[in-house]
Amino acid sequence: MPTFSSRHFGTLEYQPDVVFEFPAGLPGFEQERRFLAIEHPASRPIVFLQSLVRPELCFITLPVLAVQADYQLAISAEDIKELELDENRQPAVGTDVLCLAIISVAEGKPATANLLAPLVVNLKTRRGLQAIQEDSPYSHQHPLLAAKPEAACS
Amino acid sequence: MLVIRRRAGESVVIGDDVEILVTEIGPTRVKLCISAPREVPIMRKEVKLTREENVAAARELPAGRLVEVASKLRV
Repeated sequence: MPTFSSRHFGTLEYQPDVVFEFPAGLPGFEQERRFLAIEHPASRPIVFLQSLVRPELCFITLPVLAVQADYQLAISAEDIKELELDENRQPAVGTDVLCLAIISVAEGKPATANLLAPLVVNLKTRRGLQAIQEDSPYSHQHPLLAAKPEAACS
Repeated sequence: MLVIRRRAGESVVIGDDVEILVTEIGPTRVKLCISAPREVPIMRKEVKLTREENVAAARELPAGRLVEVASKLRV
Protein backbone atom coordinates (compact mmCIF):
# COMPACT_ATOMS: atom_id res chain seq x y z
CA MET A 1 0.00 0.00 0.00
CA PRO A 2 1.44 3.44 -0.86
CA THR A 3 2.38 5.76 1.97
CA PHE A 4 2.88 9.51 2.20
CA SER A 5 4.65 11.43 4.91
CA SER A 6 2.52 14.49 5.78
CA ARG A 7 3.34 17.32 8.17
CA HIS A 8 0.09 17.29 10.10
CA PHE A 9 -0.96 13.67 10.03
CA GLY A 10 2.38 11.86 10.01
CA THR A 11 2.75 8.85 7.74
CA LEU A 12 -0.45 8.13 5.87
CA GLU A 13 -1.08 4.72 4.39
CA TYR A 14 -3.78 4.75 1.75
CA GLN A 15 -5.50 2.66 -0.88
CA PRO A 16 -4.62 4.08 -4.33
CA ASP A 17 -8.30 4.10 -5.31
CA VAL A 18 -9.32 6.57 -2.60
CA VAL A 19 -7.15 9.38 -3.98
CA PHE A 20 -8.98 12.43 -5.39
CA GLU A 21 -7.58 13.42 -8.77
CA PHE A 22 -7.77 17.07 -9.79
CA PRO A 23 -6.40 16.97 -13.36
CA ALA A 24 -6.11 20.77 -13.57
CA GLY A 25 -4.98 21.31 -9.98
CA LEU A 26 -6.54 24.26 -8.16
CA PRO A 27 -6.14 27.96 -9.04
CA GLY A 28 -2.84 28.95 -7.43
CA PHE A 29 -1.88 25.28 -7.04
CA GLU A 30 -1.90 24.02 -10.59
CA GLN A 31 0.67 21.32 -9.87
CA GLU A 32 -1.28 19.82 -6.97
CA ARG A 33 -3.36 17.16 -8.63
CA ARG A 34 -3.68 14.40 -6.05
CA PHE A 35 -5.28 14.78 -2.64
CA LEU A 36 -6.28 12.52 0.17
CA ALA A 37 -9.45 13.31 2.15
CA ILE A 38 -8.93 12.86 5.89
CA GLU A 39 -11.46 13.14 8.70
CA HIS A 40 -10.42 13.57 12.30
CA PRO A 41 -12.74 12.63 15.19
CA ALA A 42 -11.94 15.92 16.98
CA SER A 43 -13.06 18.13 14.13
CA ARG A 44 -15.96 16.49 12.29
CA PRO A 45 -17.53 17.41 9.87
CA ILE A 46 -14.30 19.04 8.68
CA VAL A 47 -12.59 17.25 5.81
CA PHE A 48 -8.85 17.81 5.48
CA LEU A 49 -7.53 17.66 1.95
CA GLN A 50 -3.93 16.60 2.14
CA SER A 51 -1.78 17.14 -0.95
CA LEU A 52 0.09 14.03 -2.03
CA VAL A 53 2.85 16.22 -3.45
CA ARG A 54 3.68 18.69 -0.67
CA PRO A 55 3.74 17.31 2.89
CA GLU A 56 2.91 20.72 4.38
CA LEU A 57 -0.04 21.52 2.11
CA CYS A 58 -3.36 20.57 3.65
CA PHE A 59 -6.61 22.45 3.11
CA ILE A 60 -9.34 22.64 5.71
CA THR A 61 -12.69 22.09 3.99
CA LEU A 62 -16.32 21.65 4.94
CA PRO A 63 -19.16 20.00 3.05
CA VAL A 64 -21.10 22.96 1.59
CA LEU A 65 -24.32 21.70 3.15
CA ALA A 66 -22.70 21.91 6.58
CA VAL A 67 -21.97 25.59 5.91
CA GLN A 68 -25.33 26.37 4.34
CA ALA A 69 -28.08 23.75 4.54
CA ASP A 70 -29.93 25.04 1.47
CA TYR A 71 -26.83 25.44 -0.72
CA GLN A 72 -27.62 25.20 -4.43
CA LEU A 73 -24.80 23.98 -6.63
CA ALA A 74 -24.82 25.50 -10.12
CA ILE A 75 -21.78 24.36 -12.03
CA SER A 76 -21.08 25.13 -15.66
CA ALA A 77 -21.80 22.76 -18.53
CA GLU A 78 -18.05 22.56 -19.16
CA ASP A 79 -17.36 21.49 -15.59
CA ILE A 80 -20.14 18.88 -15.73
CA LYS A 81 -18.57 17.48 -18.88
CA GLU A 82 -15.09 17.57 -17.39
CA LEU A 83 -16.33 15.57 -14.41
CA GLU A 84 -18.08 13.04 -16.71
CA LEU A 85 -21.44 13.66 -15.02
CA ASP A 86 -24.96 13.54 -16.48
CA GLU A 87 -25.04 16.54 -18.81
CA ASN A 88 -28.79 17.02 -18.52
CA ARG A 89 -28.93 18.14 -14.93
CA GLN A 90 -26.99 19.58 -12.02
CA PRO A 91 -25.29 16.85 -9.98
CA ALA A 92 -26.87 15.96 -6.64
CA VAL A 93 -24.64 16.93 -3.74
CA GLY A 94 -23.89 13.93 -1.56
CA THR A 95 -24.95 11.25 -4.03
CA ASP A 96 -23.38 12.22 -7.38
CA VAL A 97 -20.68 14.50 -6.06
CA LEU A 98 -18.88 15.50 -2.94
CA CYS A 99 -18.96 19.28 -2.65
CA LEU A 100 -16.46 20.89 -0.31
CA ALA A 101 -15.85 24.56 0.51
CA ILE A 102 -12.27 25.55 1.29
CA ILE A 103 -12.04 27.27 4.66
CA SER A 104 -9.72 30.19 5.26
CA VAL A 105 -8.64 30.77 8.85
CA ALA A 106 -6.77 33.95 9.72
CA GLU A 107 -5.81 35.18 13.19
CA GLY A 108 -8.23 37.72 14.61
CA LYS A 109 -10.83 37.34 11.89
CA PRO A 110 -13.80 35.03 11.54
CA ALA A 111 -13.04 31.98 9.43
CA THR A 112 -14.58 32.09 5.96
CA ALA A 113 -15.74 29.49 3.48
CA ASN A 114 -15.40 29.86 -0.28
CA LEU A 115 -18.95 29.06 -1.37
CA LEU A 116 -18.40 30.74 -4.74
CA ALA A 117 -15.89 28.13 -5.87
CA PRO A 118 -16.45 24.78 -4.15
CA LEU A 119 -14.39 21.69 -4.84
CA VAL A 120 -16.61 19.21 -6.65
CA VAL A 121 -15.59 15.56 -6.82
CA ASN A 122 -17.41 12.89 -8.83
CA LEU A 123 -18.02 10.17 -6.24
CA LYS A 124 -17.89 7.42 -8.85
CA THR A 125 -14.58 8.38 -10.44
CA ARG A 126 -13.01 10.49 -7.68
CA ARG A 127 -12.11 13.05 -10.30
CA GLY A 128 -12.53 16.62 -9.13
CA LEU A 129 -12.17 20.28 -9.92
CA GLN A 130 -12.72 23.63 -8.30
CA ALA A 131 -15.99 24.81 -9.83
CA ILE A 132 -15.96 28.60 -10.10
CA GLN A 133 -19.64 29.36 -10.46
CA GLU A 134 -20.96 32.15 -12.65
CA ASP A 135 -23.77 34.52 -11.70
CA SER A 136 -23.59 33.04 -8.24
CA PRO A 137 -25.29 34.48 -5.17
CA TYR A 138 -22.53 32.99 -3.00
CA SER A 139 -19.45 34.71 -1.63
CA HIS A 140 -15.83 33.63 -1.86
CA GLN A 141 -15.59 34.75 1.78
CA HIS A 142 -18.74 33.46 3.46
CA PRO A 143 -18.22 34.02 7.21
CA LEU A 144 -18.57 31.00 9.47
CA LEU A 145 -20.20 31.66 12.81
CA ALA A 146 -17.83 32.93 15.47
CA ALA A 147 -16.46 30.35 17.88
CA LYS A 148 -18.71 29.49 20.79
CA PRO A 149 -17.77 31.48 23.90
CA GLU A 150 -16.04 29.35 26.53
CA ALA A 151 -18.33 30.50 29.34
CA ALA A 152 -21.97 31.47 29.11
CA CYS A 153 -22.74 35.10 29.81
CA SER A 154 -25.63 35.89 32.07
CA MET B 1 -11.74 55.29 -12.74
CA LEU B 2 -12.33 55.83 -16.43
CA VAL B 3 -15.80 55.04 -17.77
CA ILE B 4 -16.29 54.58 -21.51
CA ARG B 5 -19.44 53.68 -23.45
CA ARG B 6 -18.97 51.24 -26.33
CA ARG B 7 -21.24 49.52 -28.86
CA ALA B 8 -20.82 46.01 -30.20
CA GLY B 9 -17.98 46.05 -32.69
CA GLU B 10 -16.16 48.88 -30.95
CA SER B 11 -13.07 48.44 -28.87
CA VAL B 12 -10.84 49.95 -26.22
CA VAL B 13 -7.06 49.96 -26.33
CA ILE B 14 -4.96 49.80 -23.17
CA GLY B 15 -1.30 50.74 -23.58
CA ASP B 16 0.43 49.69 -26.78
CA ASP B 17 -0.41 46.00 -26.77
CA VAL B 18 -3.83 45.33 -25.29
CA GLU B 19 -7.12 45.65 -27.16
CA ILE B 20 -10.54 44.76 -25.80
CA LEU B 21 -13.24 44.41 -28.44
CA VAL B 22 -16.93 44.24 -27.52
CA THR B 23 -18.24 41.57 -29.88
CA GLU B 24 -21.72 40.87 -28.57
CA ILE B 25 -24.11 42.54 -26.13
CA GLY B 26 -26.78 40.28 -24.68
CA PRO B 27 -29.53 41.07 -22.17
CA THR B 28 -27.40 40.10 -19.17
CA ARG B 29 -23.84 39.78 -20.41
CA VAL B 30 -21.37 41.03 -22.96
CA LYS B 31 -18.88 39.04 -24.97
CA LEU B 32 -15.37 40.47 -25.10
CA CYS B 33 -12.53 39.60 -27.39
CA ILE B 34 -9.16 40.44 -25.83
CA SER B 35 -5.87 40.68 -27.68
CA ALA B 36 -2.82 40.95 -25.45
CA PRO B 37 0.77 39.71 -25.32
CA ARG B 38 1.14 36.13 -24.14
CA GLU B 39 2.81 37.20 -20.88
CA VAL B 40 -0.17 39.31 -19.76
CA PRO B 41 -2.35 37.13 -17.54
CA ILE B 42 -6.06 37.47 -18.30
CA MET B 43 -8.66 35.79 -16.16
CA ARG B 44 -12.19 36.25 -14.93
CA LYS B 45 -12.19 38.02 -11.58
CA GLU B 46 -13.80 35.03 -9.86
CA VAL B 47 -10.74 32.99 -10.82
CA LYS B 48 -8.43 35.61 -9.34
CA LEU B 49 -10.46 35.74 -6.11
CA THR B 50 -10.45 31.96 -5.90
CA ARG B 51 -6.71 31.84 -6.44
CA GLU B 52 -6.19 34.41 -3.67
CA GLU B 53 -8.54 32.54 -1.33
CA ASN B 54 -6.76 29.24 -2.03
CA VAL B 55 -3.38 30.80 -1.29
CA ALA B 56 -4.72 32.37 1.92
CA ALA B 57 -6.31 29.08 2.99
CA ALA B 58 -3.07 27.18 2.42
CA ARG B 59 -1.25 29.31 4.99
CA GLU B 60 1.31 27.05 6.59
CA LEU B 61 0.79 26.00 10.17
CA PRO B 62 3.22 24.20 12.46
CA ALA B 63 2.73 20.43 12.70
CA GLY B 64 -0.20 19.51 14.88
CA ARG B 65 -1.80 22.99 14.90
CA LEU B 66 -4.00 22.28 11.92
CA VAL B 67 -6.39 19.91 13.66
CA GLU B 68 -6.46 22.21 16.70
CA VAL B 69 -7.44 25.20 14.54
CA ALA B 70 -10.03 23.14 12.66
CA SER B 71 -11.63 21.72 15.78
CA LYS B 72 -12.25 25.25 17.08
CA LEU B 73 -14.38 26.16 14.08
CA ARG B 74 -18.04 26.37 14.90
CA VAL B 75 -20.13 24.55 12.37
